[in-house]
Amino acid sequence: MNFFNRRRKEQELDEELQFHLDEEAEQRAAQGLPADEARWAARRNLGSVALVKERTRDSWGLAALGQLARDFRYTVRGLRQNPGFVLTAIATLAIGIGINAMVFTVTNAVLFKGFPMVERPDRLLYLSSFDGCCVSYPDFLDWREQAKSFQGMALVHGIRSRLDDQGGIPEWFDVTEVSADTFKLVGQQPILGRDFTEADEAPGAAPVAILNYGFWERRFGKDPSVIGRSVRLNGTPASIIGVMPRSFTFPQKLEFWVPLMKTPHVMKRVNRNTWYAFGRLAEGVTAAAARAEMATIGKRLADEYPLTEKEFPPVVQTFTEFYLGRNAPLIYGSMWGAVGFVLLIACANLANLMLARSIGRSREISVRIALGAGRWRIIRQLLIESVLLSSIGGFFGWWLAKWGVRAYELAMVDHQSWLVVDYAMDTRILFYLIAISIATGILFGLAPAARLSKLDVNSTLKDGGRGSTGGGHAKRLSTILVITEVSLAVVLLAGAGVMIRSFLNIYNTDLGVDLSNTLQAGLELPPAKYPSQESRQAFFDHLRTRLEALPGIESIAFASRLPTWEPQRLPFERDGAPPVERSSRPRVARLLVNPAYFRTLRVEVVAGRNFTERDAATSLPVAIVNQSFAAASWPGESPLGKRLRFYEMDTPGLWLTVVGVTSNVVQSTVATPEFAALVYQPHKQLPIASMSLIARTRVPPETLTASFRREIAAIDPDLSVWNIVTLEQVLKGRYWNSQFYGALFLMFAAIALLLASVGLYAVIAHSVSQRTQEIGVRMALGGTASDIRSLVFKQGMIPVGIGLGAGLAASLAVNRLLEASLIQVSPSDPATLASVAVVLLIAATLGCLIPARRAMRVDPIVALRHD
Amino acid sequence: MQQPRTELLQGTLDVLILRTLVPGPSHGHAIAKYIQRTSEELLQVETGSLYPALHRLEAKGWIAASWEQSDKGKRAKFYRLTALGKKQLKAERSKWQAFSRAMELILNPADQEAQ
Repeated sequence: MNFFNRRRKEQELDEELQFHLDEEAEQRAAQGLPADEARWAARRNLGSVALVKERTRDSWGLAALGQLARDFRYTVRGLRQNPGFVLTAIATLAIGIGINAMVFTVTNAVLFKGFPMVERPDRLLYLSSFDGCCVSYPDFLDWREQAKSFQGMALVHGIRSRLDDQGGIPEWFDVTEVSADTFKLVGQQPILGRDFTEADEAPGAAPVAILNYGFWERRFGKDPSVIGRSVRLNGTPASIIGVMPRSFTFPQKLEFWVPLMKTPHVMKRVNRNTWYAFGRLAEGVTAAAARAEMATIGKRLADEYPLTEKEFPPVVQTFTEFYLGRNAPLIYGSMWGAVGFVLLIACANLANLMLARSIGRSREISVRIALGAGRWRIIRQLLIESVLLSSIGGFFGWWLAKWGVRAYELAMVDHQSWLVVDYAMDTRILFYLIAISIATGILFGLAPAARLSKLDVNSTLKDGGRGSTGGGHAKRLSTILVITEVSLAVVLLAGAGVMIRSFLNIYNTDLGVDLSNTLQAGLELPPAKYPSQESRQAFFDHLRTRLEALPGIESIAFASRLPTWEPQRLPFERDGAPPVERSSRPRVARLLVNPAYFRTLRVEVVAGRNFTERDAATSLPVAIVNQSFAAASWPGESPLGKRLRFYEMDTPGLWLTVVGVTSNVVQSTVATPEFAALVYQPHKQLPIASMSLIARTRVPPETLTASFRREIAAIDPDLSVWNIVTLEQVLKGRYWNSQFYGALFLMFAAIALLLASVGLYAVIAHSVSQRTQEIGVRMALGGTASDIRSLVFKQGMIPVGIGLGAGLAASLAVNRLLEASLIQVSPSDPATLASVAVVLLIAATLGCLIPARRAMRVDPIVALRHD
Repeated sequence: MQQPRTELLQGTLDVLILRTLVPGPSHGHAIAKYIQRTSEELLQVETGSLYPALHRLEAKGWIAASWEQSDKGKRAKFYRLTALGKKQLKAERSKWQAFSRAMELILNPADQEAQ
């Protein structure tokens, strides 16, 4: 209905009612009443004209919108008179709604969306032998053949490849080797060229590659003639056969895909070289059923191939479990809960503000009711106000969320650059934001609305308009809201507190090594180029000599595993120990290191000697054990000169003579750090191909990254080197999760605390301003400043105390949910809970202090003269 | 003293208005007076209900309105029954007759036994 039309209708209604009044008056006059008395009688008979008009307008249907528009304009006018309230409300709401939308976006991306551009990603399961790695090709073939739960299965393996396309400088790129049916399984096909076929996987087939769209765009300028072009991949000619659709990348961020070649090396069951397999669930099969079936298949394979399979049963995981860890649903769930709490606190805050405001407006509202506004109309008016505020808050919250998601994504990319997660804020997020904005508005608008339903118009109008009557009910409500806010904030603080404790525990764990000034790089010599032990030994010797010659290098170490990474655990036997059953042979972690290893990481040789360069293939096989192993194996005796041997594939190796004992090093995950038993062997006596290089530097380690790369390329330009970073950085990645989530929760808790104390402040400040007169009387009757202060503090601290108690009690229950992600800290850690209480009381004191000072400065004369 | 008046039952006003308009067009005040008079002052039509009802019926298309001269020569808004309104009145009337017969049967069962 347009406004012109509307105005005419309004005029007609006026005229119609005027006619009615005239008619009525005329009739009464005809009955003998004097003219003006007849007019009054007619007026009384009609009742409130405004009410009649309003009810008639209601029946205009669409016209109700006009009334809404009027209420809306009225609301805007009212709000513009009170910019302080509006700004506080909008800021509070923007924060509360914004972080909710942000966490929803992140949680939705991580827990529910799965891979973007993949058909039904929720039907994909990821199969490996450990959490994340690795699978052998024959295992995969058996799984694929035997498992009925899957429509299909494919195998993937991430590598780094050197691409050299016609004269350009060769560069290293992230590449994934995939088995031929990978793209079919994820429901995608090249937009240009062709998909991989089985023929491409056969050993000796012509090397081919399919490009990622982004890479095609950046490197080849979206040139369609790239199909069929020949490039050099790792020094061998290969042809580009296809380009995948835009923004499709699977199963990691990468530049191109190549077929996973079935070379004789790959096809050996013992070589668990590929990353993992993934399978698409068959129609109607659940993940649990698939898991059960794979467990059965794993047992069957273990019986068939006990040597290679027994210790590596298949592990079947969902996207979230596989890529983000088993704790991800818990972590993201609690994150969601945490921001929900923050929003509730924001709501309680606003309800209190609105309540205070509605007390101030009691007179205005009573007048409106007396003039014929229905209560529903007034309540609707209040709801319009709160929903308007929350919508504006939601609008700003959207930008806040966008910014937050971006920051979150950057932090994630920094940590797991290969991980494909789609953080786009799509329409679903928008709907969520709109829904929570409106719900929030209604929720905090209901508090004053509820109060209004008890408003007594007569007494409010008689009472000087300060609205002190009916305050008892409102005060009770506002106290309850403060208690709720405080207890929610306490729960959040306690949750964040134990998570931070947990992170600090990890951070402060003594790993037994000195990480400062160390640089590391992962090296893997390809078996084709380095087939023999001698060739590998020669490479490592050569590399060590060249690197040691660099200025700023103190020593160069090699190790089969970095500290905190679990080494291979092998069955062993001590010389002279009673023989035991094959299956019950004890196992111990074994590390291969070079002589400089202990010196480089500052691990002390406490007895005997270190390895030397003379401990080589032809000399006496030796070993060094750590203190834990020595104490467990030869308690009270010197381990020096004792012998042990490892079993590999059930075959005993050579006897190793213990020549030294070292201090302990943590070689287990930081979540459960322990000084477990370790046996070291010289790498020279077992020169395996995959080693970590660790350098101790005299200069800041980062400055040597480029020269490291150059030196390695000088020896073998084809060798792919995994990221060269400081050891500290690598280890930071190990506890990144607890640091990151701890910090995030702390941020949420800090916001909650801030909101709750601002809320407390607002309530107390409002109450002081309402009680100015009372305070003035108290002072006039001889109340001292400290009496007044304790009056204000009592009012503030009692609900805070109740809230604190309730919050601590609730946190005992809530923190129990977090237990699985906590490390070495009890969910009811007394120190944490005590500090939470202290922090909260400080904040609450600050919240009471300012209004208390204001109350103490009240001038009785002014206060008593006050209206 | 005015004689006791009966509250209008929910939904009855509409049918009363329709019936009032059967003889010819009328304005709001006359409609109210007619209902009051015809019901021997038993039914009191509140202005606060009458005009919303008139506008509602107009929106439904059961009655139509036009501005005309009243018998005293003033401009007034006259309502008249539309074809749709006549149909509606017929349906409502048989509903009300059935209803009042049912009420009668239940409230005065003795009459029934006597028959």
